[in-house]
Amino acid sequence: MTYENKKRAVLLLIALAVVAWIAVDAAAGGAQYWARVWLRLPLLLTGSGSGWPITGGFILNILLSIASMAVATALGTVMGLATLAKSPIIRLPSFFIMNFLRNSPWLVLLFAMLYILPFEMKVFGLVIPFPPFVKAVIGLALPTAANFSEVIRGAVQSIHSGQWEASRSLGYTQMQIYRYVILPQAFRRMIPGWMNLYALLMIATALATVTGIQDVLTILNTSLAMESDRVIVYFYLTILFLFFAYCYPIAIFARRLENAVKGDNL
Amino acid sequence: MNRSDALIEIDGIRKSFGTFEVLKGISLNVSKGEAVCIIGPSGSGKSTILRCINGLIPINEGFIRVGNHRVHEMRSEKAMRPLRHQVAMVFQQYNLFPHRTALENIMMAPIQVLGHDKAEVEDRARKLLAKVRLSEKADSYPGQLSGGQQQRVAIARALAMQPDIILFDEVTAALDPETVKEVLFTIRQLVEEGLTCVLVTHEMKFAREVSHRVCFTDRGMIVESAPPAEFFDNPQDPRTREFLGQVL
Repeated sequence: MTYENKKRAVLLLIALAVVAWIAVDAAAGGAQYWARVWLRLPLLLTGSGSGWPITGGFILNILLSIASMAVATALGTVMGLATLAKSPIIRLPSFFIMNFLRNSPWLVLLFAMLYILPFEMKVFGLVIPFPPFVKAVIGLALPTAANFSEVIRGAVQSIHSGQWEASRSLGYTQMQIYRYVILPQAFRRMIPGWMNLYALLMIATALATVTGIQDVLTILNTSLAMESDRVIVYFYLTILFLFFAYCYPIAIFARRLENAVKGDNL
Repeated sequence: MNRSDALIEIDGIRKSFGTFEVLKGISLNVSKGEAVCIIGPSGSGKSTILRCINGLIPINEGFIRVGNHRVHEMRSEKAMRPLRHQVAMVFQQYNLFPHRTALENIMMAPIQVLGHDKAEVEDRARKLLAKVRLSEKADSYPGQLSGGQQQRVAIARALAMQPDIILFDEVTAALDPETVKEVLFTIRQLVEEGLTCVLVTHEMKFAREVSHRVCFTDRGMIVESAPPAEFFDNPQDPRTREFLGQVL
């Protein structure tokens, strides 16, 4: 048996054991608890008991992760290129900010955003509100952007120095070399890291419950007040599974891409 | 040689990497249409000389003039641009752009750097591919080409800039003996057409047949410089003799 087959067999065994355990437990009286979970599932997913309209729940976590990732990607690109800049006036501050954000606990950053960002902001007579959702997006985007800037830096620096030499000898300027030669190649190498980061961010959206948005955890906590102690375990297992089912395929896909681009010079 | 006639004029250049002095006062003149081979042991500064000529490596001391450009006075990449237009370079590791096809590799710089018309550049690129006998590989990516083919595309890429001078940096060192021939054939053609070439090479036979002059470098100095027949048959310096005794 090859290593890959062994691994597959072990994973299958674990999955079967979990299924068996659930079945045995359900037969022993767990079924009524699962029925409670099933009843509440539309609420956990969408934030409304009937499943429509979508006001929160797990779908809000997904929206939050997408919005944060969009902001983080834009911010991280700027930060990543700034940490690569030749001029120390640009490089050093961005390096400092990047390291500060990368080494802060995400939960602390979320709390900080909660209190630092105002309820609304007036710019040229225009009132820009900062609802909890926006604060959560910014709070999660900041550390993700810092980590993404490191992904960019790593990808750019992994491009062989001969590419720089060749482009310089052809008369390209620094900006042109990035645009035409380095970034198109580095982009391929960034994708796996970017996806891994997204999976991490999705998991971290559970932290956003501290901002008071109606995400899956907030809703769970509210509705649990009406449930018995025993059923709580089943609810949390369900939430864990939701996150796992969403993130695991992304992680797997990212790893495949990583292997595909490894050591390839095409 | 009349110094003012030389296309490349190098006088007393010194270059250190950290505390290690790679070039200890190199002087060399190359006239238009001349092919000069630089040979010597590893680490003697051969490749560094080439990189100083087109400004890839700034020098610590000395004088470099290429055509009308005073290279040692240039500070920014922008100022180097006209120089880079005049001087092309081919590398040991080919350094083709892996995300572009052979044809695109050749067309990129003339369009993006020189701002030439796209249709005209494509025409030129296809002619150059024919010249290096790779017309059928126009749409292949570098990863799909053999080392010798990649190197010939790299030569075509350098030629597409319509340079007056080409610098060849050990262009056959990474190739197997079979493919070396294809590349040397292409270079010989260029020399015969009268293109000014400075070649760093380990191919002694090729240096003897193709070049007009051979320079021997050792420990950061040019020890001996002579026409190939004289250089190989009657070397003057004991260090040249020792080196040739080892490699021939």
